[in-house]
This record gives sequence, structure tokens and C-alpha cells, in this order.
Amino acid sequence: MSELMVFDEVREAIVMSGGEEIQKCMQCGVCAGSCPWGRMEEKSEFNIRAMFHMGRLGYDGYESDDYLFACTTCNQCAVRCPRGIKIPDVVRAMRSVIAETGGIPKNLKAVLGSINSQGNPWSQERGERTAWMKGVEVPEYTPDKEYLLFVCCTSAYDGRSQKVARSVVELLQAAGVSFGIIGVEEQCCGESVRKIGAEEDFTRLAEYNIGLYNKKGVKKIITTSPHCYYTFKNEYPEFGGEFEVYHYTQLLDELMAHGKLKLSKPVGGKVIYHEPCYLGRHSKAFDAPRNLMSSVPELQLVEFEGNKDNSLCCSGGGARIWMETRAGQRFSDVKIKEAAEKEAQVVATACPYCIVMLEDSLKNLNKDDVMTVKDISEILRESL
Amino acid sequence: MAKGIWVFAEQRDEEIKKVTYELLSAGRKAADALGEELCAVLMGRGVGSLAGKLGEYGADKVYVADVDALENYTTDAYTNVLADLAKEHQPTAILLACSVAGRDLAAQVAQRLGTGLMTDCTDIAMEDGQLVFTRPIYAGKAFVKAACPQARPVMATIRPNVLAADAPQAGRAAETVTVSAGAGDIRQVIKEIIKQISTRPELTEADIIVSGGRGMKGPENFAILEELADVLGAAVGASRAAVDAGWLSHSFQVGQTGKTVSPVLYIACGISGAIQHLAGMSSSKCIVAINKDPEANIFKVADYGIVGDLFEIVPLLKEEMKKLLA
Amino acid sequence: MKIVVLMKQVFDTEAKITLDGSGKINKQGVSLVMNPYDEYAVELGLRIKEKLKGEVTVVSLGGDEVQSALRQALAMGADKAVLVDPGTEEIDEFTTATILAKAVGGMEYDIILGGFKAIDDGSVQVCGRVAEILGVPVVNVVTQAEVEEGKAVATCDIDGGSAVIEVSLPAVLTAQKGGIEPRYPSMKGIMQAKKKPMQKIGLAEIGLDAAQVAPKVKALNFFMPAARAAGKTVPGEPAEAARELARLLREEAKVI
Repeated sequence: MSELMVFDEVREAIVMSGGEEIQKCMQCGVCAGSCPWGRMEEKSEFNIRAMFHMGRLGYDGYESDDYLFACTTCNQCAVRCPRGIKIPDVVRAMRSVIAETGGIPKNLKAVLGSINSQGNPWSQERGERTAWMKGVEVPEYTPDKEYLLFVCCTSAYDGRSQKVARSVVELLQAAGVSFGIIGVEEQCCGESVRKIGAEEDFTRLAEYNIGLYNKKGVKKIITTSPHCYYTFKNEYPEFGGEFEVYHYTQLLDELMAHGKLKLSKPVGGKVIYHEPCYLGRHSKAFDAPRNLMSSVPELQLVEFEGNKDNSLCCSGGGARIWMETRAGQRFSDVKIKEAAEKEAQVVATACPYCIVMLEDSLKNLNKDDVMTVKDISEILRESL
Repeated sequence: MAKGIWVFAEQRDEEIKKVTYELLSAGRKAADALGEELCAVLMGRGVGSLAGKLGEYGADKVYVADVDALENYTTDAYTNVLADLAKEHQPTAILLACSVAGRDLAAQVAQRLGTGLMTDCTDIAMEDGQLVFTRPIYAGKAFVKAACPQARPVMATIRPNVLAADAPQAGRAAETVTVSAGAGDIRQVIKEIIKQISTRPELTEADIIVSGGRGMKGPENFAILEELADVLGAAVGASRAAVDAGWLSHSFQVGQTGKTVSPVLYIACGISGAIQHLAGMSSSKCIVAINKDPEANIFKVADYGIVGDLFEIVPLLKEEMKKLLA
Repeated sequence: MKIVVLMKQVFDTEAKITLDGSGKINKQGVSLVMNPYDEYAVELGLRIKEKLKGEVTVVSLGGDEVQSALRQALAMGADKAVLVDPGTEEIDEFTTATILAKAVGGMEYDIILGGFKAIDDGSVQVCGRVAEILGVPVVNVVTQAEVEEGKAVATCDIDGGSAVIEVSLPAVLTAQKGGIEPRYPSMKGIMQAKKKPMQKIGLAEIGLDAAQVAPKVKALNFFMPAARAAGKTVPGEPAEAARELARLLREEAKVI
């Protein structure tokens, strides 16, 4: 009897943490069949269906870096689930039960610690948050500006990604957008914090950011990353943060349609578009990135075999970007190989995490002499 | 009356460790300021002949405990001898090296004598007539100055290589006092001692790390980093790119997806400085970057950078370090 | 086998250290975690329990905030937790060891484990002091330990290598990373942990008063390291640059 009690308690704990949909699962296995982990060269022990089964019955055995924390929250399973379960939410709930008790992967503890202390996950100095702005002038956000530009922590601190932030700024300026940044008072949006399961930390971040934006009079936000976009748009309202949120591709697409953004210079070459999960599948912004790239003269846009709802993740979501994925199990390797087969010269994407993952794969597969990874903003800037 | 600044003279294989001379030099200044004598405590088997050197480095008196039971370090034997001696002579202070043995011994003796102990100190000074010690806390992210106002002896362990050792005075002799006290009951029974020829420390424990990236071009080239590491007593690390290429195993990987390190000195060779790598090592106290690409991100966090061919520079650096550390 | 683990809650490794208005270490805005070396000690304790049967009690010092770290140990599989509130922030290692030893001394114990150092003050002496107070042997910096009834054989780091040391129990062993990986709390463990006893006590309840635990060491002042100077490019031909770099590392940075 006592064992049975334990089973119920585990399920209840997951439900209490926001994973009520685990109870809707009928164990059909479409999720596991869709999961990218199962499609890699080297087999992974991770099985999302089995994890749901264990969670519901209160079994042990999935509390590890390579199981509970394997899911990249790419949402591939969820768009196919016949019961419509928001699977990443259940994964998040399961993680949060463990995370509350300190069972967080070592690398992710450092991420949380860094966000708490420095406001960013990369263990970089809070005071250097605006270091990315070299060479571009960005005004401070004041209420007379239409938009707040929120530069993702990765683009604020990573030398490679800083170029993306500067490109976005140049494009917005070229299109005459009224925007500003807040700067060192900013903190991480908390997307990964929530995915890690650290709900308390996420709540604190969200409340801080919402308070800051409201104090500054922010109504509309432009993000450089689809992760920040998703979180501001879909998760901040739970905490009273009501903002009009745009990923930069969405706004630029609108501006182009209204003739405010003009792309004229040809940028030749074959470009393949890697769809960021949080822009595509999670947010259904399939058209804006494609519209933008198709408008660049002489650019030849090609597609991966799986795209839009069936696009393969880079493996950097769900806080996996801070965890080690063994060679042979990296989704980004598969993407680079396919891009190489299709003889693309550029892999284009619109997410700082995707860039980190894809560039690592590019180097690892020694394809960096024939192909480059670019953010869409970088391509567009060349075409200005 | 309590008197005397004592230095625990650490030796291994009948050779005095360099840090002992550093402690003697610092102890000498403290003893002079207080008008007390400087004593060294030398323990081991067959170590009596080393006492002379301690005199040359400033000791007025050397207590020599030369018995079989002290051949290898054991917590109990060394604690018994040092604590008994201190109880008998009531020194003002006892300084030890912050080595594995030094800190082990210091904790036991401090408790047995009911006194305070400041560990891992990087500086020692006389302020208002008392010994004041500086020690890094939070992995060097802050420092504290501390003292032991009442309890005696004041005890401290001091990091090797942070204090300067004065030049020895040839012919300066110390009074040698043979310690007859026994080592007592030794409860730690040594079954085996495994000496490492190369004592390369564990990455996260290392004070110095020599790390290689994709610029190393192949696993065979890590030999030059290993040679430099051996000269420095450093650990060898690698960037994710080098690990991904299969040149080293994941246990060598420095970075946010590998190991987070904060050594005193981090030497990055052929590492471009991806954010994942920087996040795992940018809290290092001193960062050196050697890379042929002047635009490499690693230079942004480096205290010292050399733009050039690491295959030329690293072997030269090894020779320079050898000379310096000789 | 009665196993006691001495545990400390610390700032996490990424904590940004600043000083507060009174010049002390600012405790705001930092994550608190179980001292990583203590996680190894808990793991070692759990493995001993799994092999020999028995009970693991985790003992810590501090205020209510420490309960989260104790709960982690309970969720990993420890059986009981004891938290002693020293009632003051003015403590040193002597204070801590005196209190812990008194608390543990009132329990049954065969083996006492702890991390070999805490990552905050890095003082590496509390467990050794506890052993001394309790009159039991200590083996420090242990990477592996084979424990049986009445004795432990431990592999530990020594200067220049490692040693295998045998001690009779009861004894204190301090854990270094290397041999074993701490486990995650399991879901079931977390549920069970909620029902496990967590005892909170003050000094009086273990028969100590403030005077007996008064610190020996006094912190005079805290300060931050000098701000990082801008990076320097060491110029010159390779031989010249290497020589200059070595000189700078010794004379300017003072790191070798």
C-alpha cells in the first residue's frame, strides 16, 4: 500500500507544478517516434513516452542529465500529439519538482547562479551588458520611443552573436524605426531558467523585468532571439506583463511590406534556412524569415527536407545549450550534413542558440571552409 | 610567556620545500618586529642534516624530530609531535605551508591547542603589534584580512609562491634542539603510497591550466602543452572544439558545457574564445592567450596576449619558465 | 552503520561577490547551494549505507535558509537532518567545529563524513577539528573509500601523489572529488524527504553557551581584488615575446 501512495504523490507533485496534462497521455508513443533524439546516429536512452509513463506511476530512474534534462523542448512531439498535450510544459513541471530540491545538472547550476548574480547566463559582468554596441549608436529607451530593443544575453556578450545585435540595429535604423535599449539594468528574460525548472528564479526574473519595463514606459518590444520573444509574449502575461512583442524578423517583414525597409544589394549564393524552434514551431512565424530572404536580390533560398512544423531542432533549446551533447547525438550535426549535401553556402537562421550550435557543428565537421552560418539579419544588412 | 615565531619546515624525500624558505623569510621579519626568536620545526626520518639550511634562511633555532615514525606524513604522528612541542614552548605563532600535509596538520594542531587558524593566506603583515593575515575567499573573488587577537599560538597556512624567499646567508647557523617526544599512537595506517612522476593536478583543482583549442591542429601536438604544464605543475585543458575533434576526452573540456575553472593562471593556446569557453574560465585570475588570429575573442578577456604561432611560442615559453623556476 | 555527514550551504560558484554598506560580504542576490564537496560526502555516505545498511544523518550549522540544502540531502537518500542555529553571525572554524562536534557527540556514529573544503571560505579545517574534539582519527582529501564494519580503507591525495590509508572506526573522512559522482535526488526520494525528520536546535539544546564557542579568529576587514587592468599584447619576435611574457607573469601578475 505504502508504495502505491508514493506513486500518487509523484504524479500529484508533477500536476501541482504545472504538468496536469501528463494525465491526458495515452502512451501511444507518437512523441517518442517524433523525437529527434531517436533519429540520431548514436542512440540515446532518452524516451519521452517512457518518461511520462514513469512520471505518472512515480517510478524512479529518469532523474539525470541525459534523461530528464535531455529534452530540448523543440515541440516536435507536441505538434503531433493526438491528445494535444503541451509536452514541453510537462517536462518543465517534472524538472521543477527535482530542481526545487537542488537536483539541477551541475552546468545548469552555474547558469542559474550567473543569472542571479550577473543577470545573464554566461558568467559575464553585468556592467558590460552593452559592450556589444561598438560601432553602432543606440539611444537609451525613453517613453517617446516606439520600441524597446531587447538584446538576448547571448547576443549581448558572445563576440560572434554581438555581430547579430549590431546587424539588427542597423536594419532597424535603416527602416527608420524608433527604438532604444535599457542597458545594464536589463536582466535575462528567464526562458532557460523556466525550462530548467527553477520556477522561483523565473518568477523573480519575470517580475523584475516587467517592473522595469513598466517603469520605463515600455509598450512594444523587439527581440533578437526567438526564445526571449516566446517568453515575453507567452509567459510574461501570467505575471501581468502585457507587451506587444515582435521577433525582429516579424517587424522587418512588416516594414518591408510597407516599403520602409528596402533591400537592394544582391547577395548571391545558395542559402538554406534553419528554422529556430521557438520562432517556427512554437510561434508559427514561418513566413516572415522566408519573405525577408526571398526579397534579397540574387539570393537562392533552399529548404531543409523537414521544415516549418517538421524542422529539426539544433539541440540548443530547453537549456541544452549549456549541457554537453555527445558527438553523434547532436541534431546540429545532422543539419550541417544535410546543408552540405544540398551544397548550400550559407546556413541562415534567426536565433543566437542555433548559431552557437550550428557553428560548432560546422567546425567539428570541418565544413567551415565551404559554408558559413549567418543570422538572417546579417544577410539583410549586406543587402541594404 | 609565549615566545617565538615557528615555521613548520616541510620536507619531502629529505629535501626542504621551497615554501619553507618563503615562510622563514616572512617569519624572520615578524620575529624581528616582535623581538622574538624564529624557530623551525623539522620532522621526518634522516632529516637532521637539513637543519643547517634552515639556519641559513633565518632560523635561530631548529627543533629536529628525527624518528622512524615520522618517515611518512601521518596526521596523528605529526600532530602529536608538533602539538606537544608547542604546548611545551608556547610559541606566539606557527606558520605552515598550505600544502596537503600542511593544512591537514594545521587543523589538528590548532584544535588541540584551542587556537585560531587562518588558512590559504597570501600575505602576512604586522599591524598594531599583531600578526595580520590576508586570505582569498570565494575562490579569490574577495579577500579578508584576519587576526587571532587573543588565543596563542596564532596559526596560519600560507600559499606557496606568494611570499618572497630572501637569499640564504651562507654560514649562518641555527641552534639545533633534538626533540625527544615520541610520535605517540598513530591511528592512520599507511597501506600504500603512490607517487606520481608527473603530478598533473585535476583541472578544477589546478592553480595553473594550460589549455589547447582547435589551433592545436591535432592530438599529437598536445605534447607541447603537456611539457609546458609539467614545468609549471599545471593541468592540461581543452576547448570544446578540441574535445569534439576527439583529440582529448571530455574530462579535459573547459567551458560551460565542460568544467568551470578559476585558476590563478590560465594559458589559452589556439583557443578562439567562444562564449561557452569564456563562461567556464573567465574568472581565472590571470589569463594568457596565444593565438595567431589577432581578432580572436579570447584576447578580449586576456591579461596578456601574444599574437603568433603557438607552435613556436609555447616551446620557447616552456624554456623561459624552466629558467625562471629553476 | 551510523553515518553522519557534516554539510555546509554556500554561495554558488557563479555568485558575484560584493561588499555591503558595513563592509561585509553581501548576501543578497546570490544562489545558495550545498557545498559541492559535501555532495560527494553525502554520496559516499549513501553508498556506505547501501552496502552495509544503516542510517545517514546530515548535520549543518546556520539559519532556516540551510534547510533547502538539507532537504536536498534527504531527497538524495539521507535519513535525518539536524540543523543547529549558532544564534550569531560572528563565527569562525573553531566555533563551527565546536558546535558540530557537540551535536554529533550526542549521537551514535560510526563514521563522519564531510567535504574536504567549503568553496566559500575554503578554510579546510572544520572536519579535522571535529575529529580532534571527538578524539577520533581523520583522513583528509579522500577520493575513494572502502568501508566495512570497524574500519575504512581510504585513497586520499597527498603532496606528490596519493596514499591508501586504513583507519579504525569511528573516524572522520573528508571527501575530494574524483572517485564518485553525487546522485540526483529521485522523484520518490523527494516525496519521502518531506516526511523525514528535520530537527532544528539551538546552542542551549546541545549544552553550549555563546562563551564556549566564541571565535578565535577575527575578520578585520574584507576587500575586493584590484580591478582587472586592460589586456596587454606582448610584442616582439617569438623568443622575445616568450621571455617578456614569462617576466610579466612573474614580476607583474605574480602568478608563477
